[in-house]
Amino acid sequence: MGVCDHEELMARQLAERFGVQDSFADLGAFLATCRPDVVHITTPPQSHYAVAKQCLQAHCHLYVEKPFTINSQEAEQLIGIAETAGCKITVGHETQFQPVARDMRQLIHAGYLGGAPVHMESIYCYDFSDESYAKALLGDSNHWARRLPGGLLQNIISHGIGKIVEYLQDENVTVLAHGFTSRFLETIEEPDIVDELRVIISDSHRTTAYFTFSSQISPALHQFRVYGPKNSLIADHVHQTLTRVPRKTFKSYLNQFIPPFSDAKQNFAGGCRNISRFLRNDFHSEYGIHFLINSFYRSVSENIPLPVTYRDILMTSRIMDDIFNQVQTSRLAANKRVG
Amino acid sequence: MLERMVPSSIVDKTELVLITGANGFVGSKVVEVLLAQGFTRLRCLVRSARNLSALRGLADSFAADVQILQGNLLDREKCRRAVKDVSLILHLAAGTGKSFAGCFMDSVVATRNLLDAALEETNLKRFVTVSSLAVHSNVHIRRGDLLDETCDIESDHMGRFDPYCFGKIKQDELVMAYGKEHRLPFAIVRPGVVYGPGKKQLTGRVGIDTFGIFLHLGGSNQLPMIFVDNCAEAIVLAGIVEGVDGEVFIAVDDDLPTSRKFLHMYKKNVRHFHSIYFPYRVFYFMCWLWEKYSKWSEGQLPPVFNRRFCAAYWQGQRYSNRKLKERTGWSPRVPFEEATQRYFGFINT
Repeated sequence: MGVCDHEELMARQLAERFGVQDSFADLGAFLATCRPDVVHITTPPQSHYAVAKQCLQAHCHLYVEKPFTINSQEAEQLIGIAETAGCKITVGHETQFQPVARDMRQLIHAGYLGGAPVHMESIYCYDFSDESYAKALLGDSNHWARRLPGGLLQNIISHGIGKIVEYLQDENVTVLAHGFTSRFLETIEEPDIVDELRVIISDSHRTTAYFTFSSQISPALHQFRVYGPKNSLIADHVHQTLTRVPRKTFKSYLNQFIPPFSDAKQNFAGGCRNISRFLRNDFHSEYGIHFLINSFYRSVSENIPLPVTYRDILMTSRIMDDIFNQVQTSRLAANKRVG
Repeated sequence: MLERMVPSSIVDKTELVLITGANGFVGSKVVEVLLAQGFTRLRCLVRSARNLSALRGLADSFAADVQILQGNLLDREKCRRAVKDVSLILHLAAGTGKSFAGCFMDSVVATRNLLDAALEETNLKRFVTVSSLAVHSNVHIRRGDLLDETCDIESDHMGRFDPYCFGKIKQDELVMAYGKEHRLPFAIVRPGVVYGPGKKQLTGRVGIDTFGIFLHLGGSNQLPMIFVDNCAEAIVLAGIVEGVDGEVFIAVDDDLPTSRKFLHMYKKNVRHFHSIYFPYRVFYFMCWLWEKYSKWSEGQLPPVFNRRFCAAYWQGQRYSNRKLKERTGWSPRVPFEEATQRYFGFINT
């Protein structure tokens, strides 16, 4: 095992903290010395393509942190290189492997919806008071996230888009995107960061989806709703609860008396399930990452299907490209009108 | 300010002084002290261009040349621009986040860049870095013993699980290494808990409210506090006084309150709230349990409460500012009564 960072001090501190013997500041030296089977790429997204390409050429399987690449062209090329090299590659869409997402997937595959999804809603909120990322972004005018083609959005929205992509029926999608800067960011003189996004997605089978990204919605929600022809499901990633919304109706006022208690029963059961998982050491906050990494390693070692398909990686990338193009075009047009 | 007799100064008041983190809680006070002392050429490095009105106001109220330079110390070119022609560097910028990587990058990598730039400056007379009392470990000393500059530095970083402390320890090591290898003249100031107008939060050394109710953990422990004005003066003196190259100073005030007394004062002067007193040994045991659970559960609960952290914050030591006083001529100008009046007054506005 080894760690590599082009900033030598960062590589050394990581190695020291985790008792890793070898630390490197040069990727080539790292690959030649450690000869890893799997490399985890956790660098800023702008470097993913170059770093991944070099690792694939060294015949390493790759776990690439999201976003996969900065555009779909790079994504296609990387997957092509991986396939040529006989290596596997995945992306860190870990929210799709949290307990609630896995429970939802299980139910959908078991036919709970009563057919293909009719409509989906993915809400992903961002908290600017979060010390880990947001404050670092706002406090640094040269932060790498600002320099992504899609800005802040590009670093975040693959979480929400990936969830939708998994349940779209085909790759022929239409995307309609509207992005803008919130009043909050305007008042703190950050007019160049787009932190509000509303997207409509539809495929040729008429499965539709809304994606909402917001820094102003409170509380900060991470929810995913899938509506079927018979039943629906609501996954709350913050509370790790999955709510079934069955078609069952009751006569007259009973339809306002009984369902609230059913919902309460589901919520109570969800809370108990979470406690039970916690007591069994099966509820780590990074559970999604653990599961995804383990699934990827099993895919490599046992030659079983990847946890995130290349189809999903590419579709997510293409939809994001479409979103950023539309947002950028409309902002340029708005600036021209003002100018 | 600084009206008392000061041992000989190595820096003339017309020489250029760089202050990093100049817009921060302590940094802005350091700028004020320098201006009041009569320094006429300051360069203030700030990371963000927002909220500069107070700093600009300070600059306007003194007849001094105060440059405000916006930049990130992770940018080597910015570091070179910041240190150009500088005689004294007072380095207060630091990483204060919750991640080890973030704190390390913003404390250590940033300091490395600044040190590398400083080495190219022939005018530089001293590099002062502001560290923290938190870097010390009291695991091998008993309750009530003296904690001073000679005490151990924390060595079990993951056991302590304190990213800020980790960043500061590594920063100090780096500065000392540059001092040794490149003969860079330096001094390190390790303030205790800095309090005063500008900071509303009650120090964690009094207690914590993580679990929904305030747990009073300090009891009769002496709190290693220093009022922000006093701290700023200590930093400036560490920068200008002759004969302290290579020295480390712990900076705490004289009349240190107990945790119980300070909590009582806070409740009386700011707002009343319910608190539960936890004896140290009880909380130490709970931290031991938490530590064990964290290991057993493979980090399902990270070891944020652990024995080393508990000891560092709540074991209860005596603190000394003797070295700082003897070597720099410093003494806390603002006494405790006045300091707390100003502090509580700020919170209540």
